[in-house]
Amino acid sequence: MALILIRFSPSKPKKGELVKVSVVVRHPMEPGTRKDENGQIIPANYITELEVTHGGERVALVNPGRGVSANPLFAFMVKAEPGEVKVRYTDTAGETGEKSKTLKVAE
Amino acid sequence: MNRRGFLKKTGLAGAALAASRFLPAWAQAATVPTVEEVQDIEHLDEGLKEVLGIDFAKLEPSDKVTINAPEIAESGANVPVEIVSELAPSEVKGIHCFVDKNPFPHIFSMSLGPKAAQTYFATRIRIGETAPVRIVVETTDGRYLLASHVTRVTVGGCG
Repeated sequence: MALILIRFSPSKPKKGELVKVSVVVRHPMEPGTRKDENGQIIPANYITELEVTHGGERVALVNPGRGVSANPLFAFMVKAEPGEVKVRYTDTAGETGEKSKTLKVAE
Repeated sequence: MNRRGFLKKTGLAGAALAASRFLPAWAQAATVPTVEEVQDIEHLDEGLKEVLGIDFAKLEPSDKVTINAPEIAESGANVPVEIVSELAPSEVKGIHCFVDKNPFPHIFSMSLGPKAAQTYFATRIRIGETAPVRIVVETTDGRYLLASHVTRVTVGGCG
């Protein structure tokens, strides 16, 4: 399973403040247009769906295509409320990944 | 000589003079071309039709959508793109990204949920050659707001 990193900025926000949630997935995001050293097309393999939730409710649903970079970054804005931020994805090979991180909020 | 090698070589100062006969004006002066200079509406339309079922004429250029991206990217493989809009997330049905000259012009689509605090999204994309990046914000009242931003790419990110 691919590595997923979740980062909050600021990391310890005050309640109600805007928080940027950055997600990085270690994934090749092969567009299917590149060739290897033998001139063979490298088959496409990219993330087709990535969902982010906060406290069980959706922040965003992303459907990347072939044009999103390798090891992609996705960033969103949420309001600082304590709760779990959960990321899950599916790629064209049918692989899935999931990661959660708790957002802590200063009083 | 292929295009990529050609561009690399012509980037060298010594070759600049020889190259001036072959390159468009914007490429000779190290400036960022305008949208009109590097757009490819026909190819963009293929992506728009496939994803949204509309063509370019249906898009409304709007200053309510802002794209923050570099003007010049050394590598097209990893270009940061940030989208910000004053529209409330509840007014936005979807955000779609296209690049006119990429082999597959559709880059991503996304939608915001009830926990999105702002109409904001950032990611990194591949740009095959210097071309406009298009952000289409589909509103809940059925409009398609367009923002365009040209990123000049020195080395393409698709091959």
